[in-house]
Amino acid sequence: MFDQVLFFFNALLQQTGAANFTGGNLVMIIIGGTMIYLAIAKHYEPLLLIGIGFSCIVANVPGPPDVPGGPPVSALLYVVKEGGLFHYAYEGVAKLIIPPLIFLGVGAMTDFGPMIANPKLVILGAGAHLGIFVALILAKLVGFSISEAGAIGIIGGADGPMAIFVTVKLAPHLLGPISVAAYSYMALMPMIQPPVMKMLTTPAERRIEMAQIRKVSKLEKIIFPAVIAIIVNLFFPPVAPLITMLMLGNLLKEVGVTERLAKTAGGPLMNMIIMILTVAIGSTMAADKFLTWDTILIVGLGLLAFLFGTASGVVTAKIMNLFLRNKINPLIGSAGIASVPIAARVSHIVANQANPHNHLIFHAMGPNLAGVFGTAISGGIMLALLGVQ
Amino acid sequence: MIPDTVYGAILLSVIDFFLSFLVISGIGFVLALFPYLNQLGTIDEKKLREGGH
Repeated sequence: MFDQVLFFFNALLQQTGAANFTGGNLVMIIIGGTMIYLAIAKHYEPLLLIGIGFSCIVANVPGPPDVPGGPPVSALLYVVKEGGLFHYAYEGVAKLIIPPLIFLGVGAMTDFGPMIANPKLVILGAGAHLGIFVALILAKLVGFSISEAGAIGIIGGADGPMAIFVTVKLAPHLLGPISVAAYSYMALMPMIQPPVMKMLTTPAERRIEMAQIRKVSKLEKIIFPAVIAIIVNLFFPPVAPLITMLMLGNLLKEVGVTERLAKTAGGPLMNMIIMILTVAIGSTMAADKFLTWDTILIVGLGLLAFLFGTASGVVTAKIMNLFLRNKINPLIGSAGIASVPIAARVSHIVANQANPHNHLIFHAMGPNLAGVFGTAISGGIMLALLGVQ
Repeated sequence: MIPDTVYGAILLSVIDFFLSFLVISGIGFVLALFPYLNQLGTIDEKKLREGGH
């Protein structure tokens, strides 16, 4: 009788995920929980971290094996595998449908005025990308192929859709860890960037107040998307789909006669894509796939890329100050790393802590927007040099 | 095109970083010309919005 009860209890246990729970699952659940905590308590990019953190937790709650004796499959992985709801979401990421749509939405929400108004600051959009190349060389040194190293390096561009786009072209098998690293670090920039920014600047530099920039006319804002789309399609066809959609979204916003479309692209469409994208990314964080040596290396290299990118942006701004009559606050250099508008917000907050009268957000948006183009240009050149269409 | 070696990674990085600076400077130059567009005339934003859908 007792043996029978024990047998049935054991059989019941095997039907649940409890028997398959591992220490790795616990680690990943804690990571997912930390993401949700940071989003709620610290307001670190909740739109990204809530979805990634939640699906990371669920992806690490093991279910029963799919086939007798096989590996455990979580409920989330059932909806991610072929035929499931989020299978198509993940396919949207892997088949490069979602990244251009994200850029359409970003374009429809973005005012490029600060970038047009202060063209000399666009150089910071290239200066803050040293991290890409530091990570690329280090990745090659630790044994990744040059294509994999390029995809890992692009994490340093701090541009999620671009990181996905370049990774799918160069090393699609690394899409999970690279997109997780890119989006997680983007969300955690308020923690990652300030120590580097403060280490490389003096209190006097952080207090520098910048002169008000000129007002950009509607005509300039309408012509801008067309000019950029022509330049990118002409010289950087590998990344043209993303920038073209960014510029289309921006044109919809600026022309004033397609307000409905701009609102849809930047509102409901963008919100739907964020929900799909964050679940698709978080679902790749199952412990057995995520807690591997390669993933740990990628996450570590991604962090280095962000740190070096932040540092090189600040140093570029300081070098520019050697030649400029009206000094710029070097804190806006770190905004050149892209990740709109998170990096610009970090520049503003750090400057505001040093000088409560300092409102750098508008100035920092210039290099921040230029950083989007900087990442696209770096990615485009990389794809061209590696012979990828 | 680029060898799959550490030398290749360094070469790729140097070329890419240098060209990125060059291209983004070019974009900066084009943007510096934008104020001249205003000599073509102005756009009445209110009228633009009135024609919206």
